[in-house]
Amino acid sequence: MPQFSSDERQLLHDSVQDFFANQYSFEQFRELSAASHESGFSQDAWRQYGELGWLGVAAPETVGGTGAGLTELAIIMAGAGSALAMEPLLSSTVLAGGALELVASPDQSHHLDTVISGERVWAFCHAEPDGGYAREYVTCLATESSEGYVLDGKKTFALHAQAADQLIVTARLGDANGPVSLFVVPSNSEGLSRHAAPSLDERRGASLMLDGVSVSADAMLGQAGHDQTEAVNAVLDRGVLAVCAEACGAMTAVTEQTVEYLKVRKQFGQPLAKFQVLQHRLVDMNVSCEEARAATHAALTAADNNEPNARTKIWRAKVQVGRSARYVGSQAVQLHGGMGMTDELAIGHYYKRLSMCESLFGDADWYLRQLANRLD
Amino acid sequence: MFIRTSEPNSSLESFRADVRAFMAKELPEETRRKQTLGQHIERDEYAAWLRRLGSRGWLTGKWPKEHGGLGWGPDEFAVFGEELGRANAPPVVPFGPTMVGPVIYSFGTEEQKAKYLPGIIKHETWWCQGYSEPGAGSDLANLQTRAVRDGDDYIVNGQKIWTSFAHWADMMFCLVRTDPDVKKQEGISFLLIDMNTPGITVRPIIGITKGHHLNEVFFEDVRVPVANLIGEENKGWTYAKFLLGNERVGVVDVGKFERYIEGLRQLLNDTKENGEPLSKDPDMRQRVAGLEVSFETIKALMADQLAAAQRDGSPPLIGAAALKVRSSEFQQAALQTIMDVFGRHGMVYQTDALHPGFNGDVVGPDEMAGFIYEHLYRRAATIYGGSTEVQKNIIARGALGL
Repeated sequence: MPQFSSDERQLLHDSVQDFFANQYSFEQFRELSAASHESGFSQDAWRQYGELGWLGVAAPETVGGTGAGLTELAIIMAGAGSALAMEPLLSSTVLAGGALELVASPDQSHHLDTVISGERVWAFCHAEPDGGYAREYVTCLATESSEGYVLDGKKTFALHAQAADQLIVTARLGDANGPVSLFVVPSNSEGLSRHAAPSLDERRGASLMLDGVSVSADAMLGQAGHDQTEAVNAVLDRGVLAVCAEACGAMTAVTEQTVEYLKVRKQFGQPLAKFQVLQHRLVDMNVSCEEARAATHAALTAADNNEPNARTKIWRAKVQVGRSARYVGSQAVQLHGGMGMTDELAIGHYYKRLSMCESLFGDADWYLRQLANRLD
Repeated sequence: MFIRTSEPNSSLESFRADVRAFMAKELPEETRRKQTLGQHIERDEYAAWLRRLGSRGWLTGKWPKEHGGLGWGPDEFAVFGEELGRANAPPVVPFGPTMVGPVIYSFGTEEQKAKYLPGIIKHETWWCQGYSEPGAGSDLANLQTRAVRDGDDYIVNGQKIWTSFAHWADMMFCLVRTDPDVKKQEGISFLLIDMNTPGITVRPIIGITKGHHLNEVFFEDVRVPVANLIGEENKGWTYAKFLLGNERVGVVDVGKFERYIEGLRQLLNDTKENGEPLSKDPDMRQRVAGLEVSFETIKALMADQLAAAQRDGSPPLIGAAALKVRSSEFQQAALQTIMDVFGRHGMVYQTDALHPGFNGDVVGPDEMAGFIYEHLYRRAATIYGGSTEVQKNIIARGALGL
């Protein structure tokens, strides 16, 4: 994949940081996360992401994207994490965008246009209630019909699925051993019910029930009958990288805030930052951030360069980021004392966002087991 | 080493059976249902349950008989707590029974004992604790809420924070500064304040759980009769230390911890990965085994400390600190493991399912919202009741002479 130069990445990073620092306040997050808010994300910010070209940064130039790679996407996701952004970047830009880029045939390219412009919100619904984190567990069934296909089954809660105009749903074609296929399902399809709910970190999503959902033949992405397991894995890996980057952004922000707090908070006649035990704790948080960033960066580079061991690096990054996020998130609360436990401060919200990042697409323990299974 | 074990106590097991039977019979079905789901219990329902416990004298079982208690030793107290936790009954709110009650019967006048103790025994009075302030958390002695003598009253001005149930409370026991010109600890008084007194404002603090039990309490020219002073003016810190000593005694919610592990095992059975129950997953099994090791160690620590308490008449403060550190860490580890199971369900947090009267459907397991609430709440287990950092300082100074 063509990549930005370091200078270009720096420019992108600066403009991302600038946007989130100046145009996406914590108060904005509070407004958007309120149960009473209509959509749970900022339509205005979403429009701006589109205008800035962020929603197509990793999409090919041939379809109107910037033609950059996952590293550039990660720079944006890190910014989003640092500001607790609520918009459906993960589901729409990363997952659906990735699926459409990798699987859709040329005559289906109009879908990707809507991802890049942001005019449609997309979600990618793959995991199932009895599958857990297992990537190859697909029991949703697609049966051929006169119009195209009929879909039946259940999908686990997915972030942003409640807001999606279009859902990409995985299902096996024909029977339980059929090839894994991807289907574009409009959210108003008959037979599709979405059970919307808030996530731990006050974003929203939905679980799906598909009960005889009828879709046209061209709803199937790519070549009919082709097993898309490898593509699904690639999409999920993009998701992993995206949440790793998001977590890096969130961890860095919350660590900075915690350092500042300890400099200001006085007990026993002096700022808490003077106590060596707490200084070392802050150092451990800081070093954990660096480890997460480095591991994510190595994985991104491997992915963008199509290195043969990229998947291993991506999975290792998820383990590292999971460890770091668990430590940084919980210690940020601990070091803020009672204040860290309030809804009013940002700290607890970073803690919850980091907990989500840890669990999305599989947690550190799960990836460690997968890596262990792959050892010679 | 390995010298002292608790004296065997045959009446303890019949007491345990009695408590267990009471829980089975007297815990209202509706309350039990709410507790299972982690739904919020409102004031009246909670108070009714506490009054039931009070009718057996069990809120204040540990008090000496001369003050209306049952004279329980530390082992009866532990058994009662265990069975309460095992039954998943709403816990005893400690502010009256464990905290201000003993202070009143130890340092109060006869009038004060007669006025306040019966209300605590029967839970006719809801108490809250006015200790922490924005500038006085771990450094409690730094408190600034001022009480100035004016005739037969004190005029109180200031602010308390992290006040559990202040929005429900009838009375507050409050540490106030009565002398700002001496060493911090020597200018503090212990004052009982009627929460209905004009000038008191209670402001809710919403937690990361999205729930409410903590508050800020503001005092603006609040008149408190001098008759509400406990003991001597400026000796409040002594009474507070006595109270803290009482509070931190080997109180580990064994019953609740058992329920965490049971709940976890049930969730592992019910949650599938790749079509197989997680209870078969070797990594999860190892984590459960690890939690059980930690839990057994905590129970063993408790048993040794109970034995020491029986010998010495009072519990070891250093041991209590160690137990607090490890049990709070265990709590967090057990709940984190449960959260890791919930990751498979998408980590949905439906706080509206925790409100009584919720009638909708939940995404994922029924108990998910309640356990997520508990996990988020217990993020504070290493902060409240003396943070882990403070407990380690206590051990360093008190046990290691550092």
